[in-house]
Amino acid sequence: MNIINKILNVDDYYFDVFMSISEALAGFTVNELQSTGLAETYYTYVLKSLEAATFVEFLTVSKNILENSSGEEELKKAIQSEIIGNAGMNEIAGKVITMWYLGTWEGSYINDLSYKEGLVWNLMHSHPPGAKQPGYKSWNIKPVNSNS
Amino acid sequence: MNQTHNKKDVIIVGTGIAGSLIAKLLSDHVFDVAKGKMIHRADAGKSDSIKEISILMYEAGLEAGLELDSVSSMTTYNEYIRTFYREEAKVPNSPYPNLKQAPSPNVLDMEHIVQPFPDKKGYLVQFGPMPFASDAIRVGGGTTLHWLGTTPRMLPNDFKLTEKYGITIHKPDSKEKTPINWPIDYEELRPYYEMAEFEIGVSGDVSRQEYPIDENMEKYYGNYVFPMEEIPQSYMDHKIIEGLKGTSVKLSSGEIPLMMVPSPQGRNSIPNPKYGKTKIIKAEPKESGYKLVLDSSEKEEYKALGSVWNPYMGERCEGNASCVPICPVQAKYNALKTLKKALYKLNDHENLKRNPYMQIQAQSVVYRLSVDQNDKDKISKVHLRRYTSKEKTDFIEESIDTSDAIVILAANAFENPKILLNSPYTTQNGVKTAANSSDQVGRNLMDHMVMLTWGLFPEPVYPYRGPGSTTNISSFRDGNFRGEFSAWISPLDNWGWGWPAFSPGSDVAYFISQENLFGAELREALTNRLSKQVLFHFEIEQLPNPNNRVTINDQYMDVLGIPRPVIHYELTEYEMKAMEHAKHASDQMFKRLGIKDFTKYTAADMNSVMYNGVRYSYNGAGHIVGTHRMGSTAEDSVTNSYCKAWDHPNLYIVGAGNMTTLGTSNPTLTLSAFTIRSVESILADLEIQLKK
Repeated sequence: MNIINKILNVDDYYFDVFMSISEALAGFTVNELQSTGLAETYYTYVLKSLEAATFVEFLTVSKNILENSSGEEELKKAIQSEIIGNAGMNEIAGKVITMWYLGTWEGSYINDLSYKEGLVWNLMHSHPPGAKQPGYKSWNIKPVNSNS
Repeated sequence: MNQTHNKKDVIIVGTGIAGSLIAKLLSDHVFDVAKGKMIHRADAGKSDSIKEISILMYEAGLEAGLELDSVSSMTTYNEYIRTFYREEAKVPNSPYPNLKQAPSPNVLDMEHIVQPFPDKKGYLVQFGPMPFASDAIRVGGGTTLHWLGTTPRMLPNDFKLTEKYGITIHKPDSKEKTPINWPIDYEELRPYYEMAEFEIGVSGDVSRQEYPIDENMEKYYGNYVFPMEEIPQSYMDHKIIEGLKGTSVKLSSGEIPLMMVPSPQGRNSIPNPKYGKTKIIKAEPKESGYKLVLDSSEKEEYKALGSVWNPYMGERCEGNASCVPICPVQAKYNALKTLKKALYKLNDHENLKRNPYMQIQAQSVVYRLSVDQNDKDKISKVHLRRYTSKEKTDFIEESIDTSDAIVILAANAFENPKILLNSPYTTQNGVKTAANSSDQVGRNLMDHMVMLTWGLFPEPVYPYRGPGSTTNISSFRDGNFRGEFSAWISPLDNWGWGWPAFSPGSDVAYFISQENLFGAELREALTNRLSKQVLFHFEIEQLPNPNNRVTINDQYMDVLGIPRPVIHYELTEYEMKAMEHAKHASDQMFKRLGIKDFTKYTAADMNSVMYNGVRYSYNGAGHIVGTHRMGSTAEDSVTNSYCKAWDHPNLYIVGAGNMTTLGTSNPTLTLSAFTIRSVESILADLEIQLKK
């Protein structure tokens, strides 16, 4: 997989690695992740929250996996063995997935938007309580986007 | 304010639904000096011979929560919503200020009690043996800010448990038994239920209500429609109803047919044209006293009332799915709406104008009453501590002379008894506490035991959408089994396993850390689990028990030096047996629906009991009730059926604390009904007072 985008500033080589590995871990496309409006916020938040060396190691492992996997299956296997199978990497991966799904890091919401943009609500065809309300009577029928 | 009076006609402690209803109804009436009668504003015309009722309300919460002009109320409320977004544990009190000067009971403070040591965390001091599991909030508008908004009426038999089922309870500290009938019955209360449903703005369909009662529904409701049309039931409700319709559940007392009833609710839907014009609640003078009637005299069609800051916001429930703890648009009723109507009246040009005869003083914690024994045991003073800012705990000691005023305690069912028990006075027969000659103040604390069962439906039912609950199973609300064990109501919950299992957060954590899932598989597993979650409640009636009580103790004070409520609380076999039967009912319904049961009760649960070798756990319902019960005689109750204290001629005590028994309905509608009725007696007292 190609890593071409450099975001934040030219030196910040790893942002795209972060997004690509997030896609593989969370099961949402980079586009879906970007549309939360929180990608950069999350990246900088993790940078601040983890020891730099630990995060860099996580991203380096991720980068290698992403670059060396030629297809979905191979990528999945590599993640399985090198991230999920490694206690330290696994812990960070879990935190990153949780951040995308719930908007929290170690139990705390990162900001108002992170609460509202938790992806867990999308996958169950719902919405965060108290925000993005669907309108009168919407709960009476099958969700419009459930495709089933 | 252009006009203030030092002397007040009425002092109301608390701005929750009870206090606000009384303030609204009283401020709608004026005293016609010529006729010597209280009359509704609408009938007063421009007469010079009227006198306004001056009202002062005290609220323990912050000033900001009571600033009801549009800009201030929106600012404060948006702050609540922002807090709610950011709070990790989205419990009922989470959006609201947690004040050290006026602390609130919080479910997060509840701990296991290891006797004899109490749980002292938070505001309540809990001696147990079981922790009391419900919370309330001391904020402008009171606990209606976080209520769910479900508004079933009580059933006729709920008012006469002794007469109908022979149930008696112990007298305080005695082996002697005593009956527990209410001093009023359903029939008496029915017109006031209609007034409460008007004021709250209830959505529902009378023709779809179905209960296990002896009376026919026509007699129960009369020729009646709710102000607004039924709130649509959820997709999940339809699936469950499809699977259970026409079936019954077998209990030891026999087969009980299942009735799945769309719940009447205090949230805005579409105004029902059949309800007719909007109405006013007005007092009709009788030869002696007053009768309140719901009068159709206004010209306008009934309209849903939206948020306090903008009536066009929240005109319909828009499915925020956060009714507890906060409705972002105030489509759900809260007492601030009624309070605003008390505080602002239409002037001649039909513009809202601040009512100069009503004053609300916030940050004022009322803690004691004085009794004047030389004047028929009148309440002569109300004492309060007024703190100056959210940050500081220093306070100004204040008291107000109430010898020529009517005092209405309208704090909640923890606070009212706390204030009364903290109001001692010495008589020839020793020290007494206010309103407590019956020794019933603080006793008979009740709640619904909310036993939850949860599982996975065989197909997606798409929970986590819509109001908290839109359907309830009413079959177990009444029946001969009540001689043996509690009745219950079973709401179906639209919010998945959020309550018992902290879903969806716990599901995310489980699949990541226990199953090591990621990517597409994680997404699929979560989708599958979360869209099939169903939750049944069994809200089990608790009988009044004089040993379940709020007391005070000088060892436990808050930062203002005011006693904290000290709670003693336990369950009896009557309630535990109901849990056993409710679980049987749940098992049968789950089986029929093909629901895979995930219910788990453990010793780690805060409220957990073993009964017949099986563990049952429950939560609080937030239905804090019974601590200043009404009754037919001064010997066995604190107030009469008009919420007037037997012991003091100028004291009313209102709120859920008046409830003699709990029944199976959410208490807010019922307390609203009898609180509205109490205004008849207050007006009669005011007439005498104003004639002087």
